Amino acid sequence: MSTTELRIRQRRGTTALAGRETRRVLALWTQTILPPILTAILFLAVFGGALGSRIHHVEGLSYLTFILPGLLVMTVAGQSFANCSTSLFQAKNEGYIEDILTSPLRPWQLAMSYLSGGLVRGLLAALAVALLALPFAHEAAHLTLTTVALLLTGLVFSSLGVITGICAETFDQHAFVANIVITPLALVGGVFYSARTLDEPWATLTRIDPLYYLVDATRAGLTGFHEATIWVSVVVAAAVAVGAFLMATAVIARGWRLKP
Amino acid sequence: MAGSSDLDRGSAALVVQRLTKIYGDGTKALDELSLRVPAGSFFGLLGPNGAGKTTLIGATAGLVRAPTERIFVFGHDAALDLESRLLVGVAPQEVHLDRFLAARELLAYHGRYFGMPKLEAEQRADELLEVFDLTAKAKTKPNRLSGGMRRRLLIARALVHRPRLVILDEPTAGVDLELRHELWRYLRRLHTEQGVTVLLTTHYIEEAEALCERVAFIRAGRIISEGAPTELVDRYGGERLEDAYVEAMRQ
Repeated sequence: MSTTELRIRQRRGTTALAGRETRRVLALWTQTILPPILTAILFLAVFGGALGSRIHHVEGLSYLTFILPGLLVMTVAGQSFANCSTSLFQAKNEGYIEDILTSPLRPWQLAMSYLSGGLVRGLLAALAVALLALPFAHEAAHLTLTTVALLLTGLVFSSLGVITGICAETFDQHAFVANIVITPLALVGGVFYSARTLDEPWATLTRIDPLYYLVDATRAGLTGFHEATIWVSVVVAAAVAVGAFLMATAVIARGWRLKP
Repeated sequence: MAGSSDLDRGSAALVVQRLTKIYGDGTKALDELSLRVPAGSFFGLLGPNGAGKTTLIGATAGLVRAPTERIFVFGHDAALDLESRLLVGVAPQEVHLDRFLAARELLAYHGRYFGMPKLEAEQRADELLEVFDLTAKAKTKPNRLSGGMRRRLLIARALVHRPRLVILDEPTAGVDLELRHELWRYLRRLHTEQGVTVLLTTHYIEEAEALCERVAFIRAGRIISEGAPTELVDRYGGERLEDAYVEAMRQ
């Protein structure tokens, strides 16, 4: 068999596994798409309805407009992470990952396939949230920038999900990472506040959180307002995304906790 | 000039050269194991629990980490060359099937993971469902199938991508007598009509005697003897392969 033929087969296999992951997201829509929409409705009800008029403007934007980009980033981050980590953990825990491990796919192709499920779930949920928030939002300043920032968010957190799904040996460990790493990252990432208004060390803590740059870039895209330089935000986010993807690929290639 | 061992690797379905596998907890599963499975043969691997059969199969199929330059599938280094994965179809001892996919989808997706075009994979899935008498269950998810059906589906999955070497790890364990004989018939057909090399592990010595042209005894991670069943009986004495096996394990 020629190298080209092997590559064609590997490409087909990658597409098939990505398709299987996407299919899983859509088949389990009550667990994958519906919950983030309900959460977003609650956020919009609380911050847009119950509290919206009582909170002062932040950086010249209404509070709901200010937090909406962060909510989108949080949705993509949480859903992408949950999808990849759960899907891989299930496959590993129930043993059917052996069907994938015996295939001719390269480690980066396996990582990419699982990532695609996370991206689909994260971006679908974000789209649903964005549609729900349309009545409260004004016209996006730079839609491309928003899309890039959300894609990078999906890449970063899908990769972290792949790593967690492989490394977690029990469901408790899997939940531990979600609760101890992902949720705090989201909460100190500048979703609900402007880092400029914080005292030290909170301002620095916020700025070393990669999510801060993703939220800032998304906010720049949706509202035109940003705290960091946009290209710095995008470069930092892209560097983190590449690093996370390479780490996920390395974990698969090493076979750690996948192959004895 | 290619060395004789290179030529040997190419002509054999599986060549294992002095393979040692030590797990993280210090268990030595394979101890300088060497084995040659001729292309086109029906080969049996017999040994007690913990002898290293499943480790050897896992290392060959990519389920267990193995060093390079130790396992060759039709001449391809199993640890290095991903083409070797296309040549191997494995039905592991434990039945693990993707619970999100129905039987037909499960087979078709497997074919596609191995690079088959979608249509071809679906046609192949239908063909194998028929062969294994599972057509009526095409739309049923694995958790709704009986144990015997799940076992048949697992073997069918190993065959979807038309491997040249099929490895079956105790395929008839826990299977009723009728199904066991059905599987035997299918495996014989697969071997004789399609020229597929079959590597079978089993605890049923009569199964190996009925199916295998060559048999290897494995104990404590090493091949202790190998040959045609009649040769092994001659070598160890007794009347049947079972006697030879018992004697080989006792020595």
